[in-house]
Amino acid sequence: METDAAPQPPPTPAMLQKTRGQTLPVDAHHQPLVLLELIQRLKVRDVMTQEIVSVQRHEPLWVAQAAMKDKHISGVPVVEEGRLFGLVSIEDIIRAVEGGYIAQPCGDYMTTKLVVLEDDMPLSFAVQYFDRFRFGRFPVLNRDRALVGIICQRDINRALLVELSAEFNRMEQTVAQINGHTAKIDANTYMLREFPVAKYDFENAGKAANVIKAAMIERKYPPKIVRRVAVAAYELEINLCVHSVGGVLSWQLSNGRSEVIAKDSGPGIADVEWACRDGTSTANEWIRSLGFGAGLGLVNVKRVSDEFEITSQLGSGTIVRSAVNIALEENK
Amino acid sequence: MNVLDAITVLEAETIVKGEGLEKTIKHVIASDLMSDVLLVDEEDMLLLTSLASDQVLRTAQIVGAAGVIVVNGKSLPSSMMQVAQDLRMTLAVSKFPKFDACIAIHQYMTK
Amino acid sequence: MKLSELIASAGFEVISPGNAACEVVAGYTSDLLSDVMAHCPEDSIFITVQNHKNSVAVSTLVGAVAILVVHDREIPKDMLDAAQAENVALLRTSKNQFEASCLVAKILSVS
Repeated sequence: METDAAPQPPPTPAMLQKTRGQTLPVDAHHQPLVLLELIQRLKVRDVMTQEIVSVQRHEPLWVAQAAMKDKHISGVPVVEEGRLFGLVSIEDIIRAVEGGYIAQPCGDYMTTKLVVLEDDMPLSFAVQYFDRFRFGRFPVLNRDRALVGIICQRDINRALLVELSAEFNRMEQTVAQINGHTAKIDANTYMLREFPVAKYDFENAGKAANVIKAAMIERKYPPKIVRRVAVAAYELEINLCVHSVGGVLSWQLSNGRSEVIAKDSGPGIADVEWACRDGTSTANEWIRSLGFGAGLGLVNVKRVSDEFEITSQLGSGTIVRSAVNIALEENK
Repeated sequence: MNVLDAITVLEAETIVKGEGLEKTIKHVIASDLMSDVLLVDEEDMLLLTSLASDQVLRTAQIVGAAGVIVVNGKSLPSSMMQVAQDLRMTLAVSKFPKFDACIAIHQYMTK
Repeated sequence: MKLSELIASAGFEVISPGNAACEVVAGYTSDLLSDVMAHCPEDSIFITVQNHKNSVAVSTLVGAVAILVVHDREIPKDMLDAAQAENVALLRTSKNQFEASCLVAKILSVS
């Protein structure tokens, strides 16, 4: 059962107009060149996941189900000797469970009408495909039609964030050099970065704080100031990841002040004072084994901050704000 | 003593050579709880730890550690090498148990 | 070396004295209880920042005779109760894991 997975031609700009009310910045004339260049320059193969979990046609559907559960993925390609035959999706599994045929071979129930991408297509194609088709992932084939990877939204988001962050860094450095402000801390310097933080995303937990620290080091802020901002950012980011439902970490430099704000949309902290206490908690051994210690680290955030504030409302989430004043001489 | 010396003393295998490889070490932190490491105020430390996770490297960058040596004969998850490279953080791994690693480092520092 | 001698030499704060007559032959430093369970030798002093009763449970399992809590961490009541019940000595120091390990090593090697 060979798949008729031929790559479809990319949607034309006209087709893309007003998708969900907003034009995708892929072909429009007025979008930033940086973004256009980025998603043209990056290829699907630069962004895709190459470690593919797959099943074979003869294997029963429950093998695919187990793989999805184990690896937290929503689709498993059916592959034999590098050739792609189809894909078993979570929807297929749900139908199989309801229909009582979860022990049947994958080959009999997999989806064969697949849309695939080629590994040397620019990322802009993948962006358009995700917008146009409702699939959660696309298999990626090489020129020889062999399966070489899988790409999903998360891969694109992560790659874009990393590249955009690097791109912004480069741009800001250029601007700073033009203005001759590289080594001088300018009270008029303004920067805003926002980092989404996903719950239990341990792979990326702390990355935002690392980026913030690197950005400040590059701009030659005093080491003690940098350390305080970095510690606050890191503790707050880990909290968002480990103790909340996820949220956004933002960092703002303005008026000679660095502010890190962690915002989550979780249930809220019932007793803010209790949360600010330093404490050992035996509650979550698994999280501790990953290196995230006891308590909420908020005591440490407070310690390094010039201003510290928590606003929490039961049912509507928590906002933690930490500010550090940036003086030309080292303070504290 | 610098990070490279510590790597030699602990018979450690270097996974990534980072920026702080030859920095003189002023303090040694031998903790496995990253929340603890975040309380340390010194810079230019050597982090000795039994915890083998990406978080160790990220925490090390935050607190300005000169390098990380994972002790106790741990095997490192493959992701750690990339993270160490991204952060330009020296990463090595040693079979010494942490107690013995502390002794070996101390002896080198006080000789 | 007898536990009582070790305590006297080091000057650690004694939260619970344990069995003063027992021998201490080694030190083990870790904050990862799974590591302690796997590798901590018998008749040892277990050096850690983990100030909770699980540390006592693990010590009993492996035959450690004393727990040295570092960074002057507060000892919760249930940890103290457990230590007394198991006759495991509970000591405390303001030093960190590195300094405490070096001091213990120095004392033990002199015995």
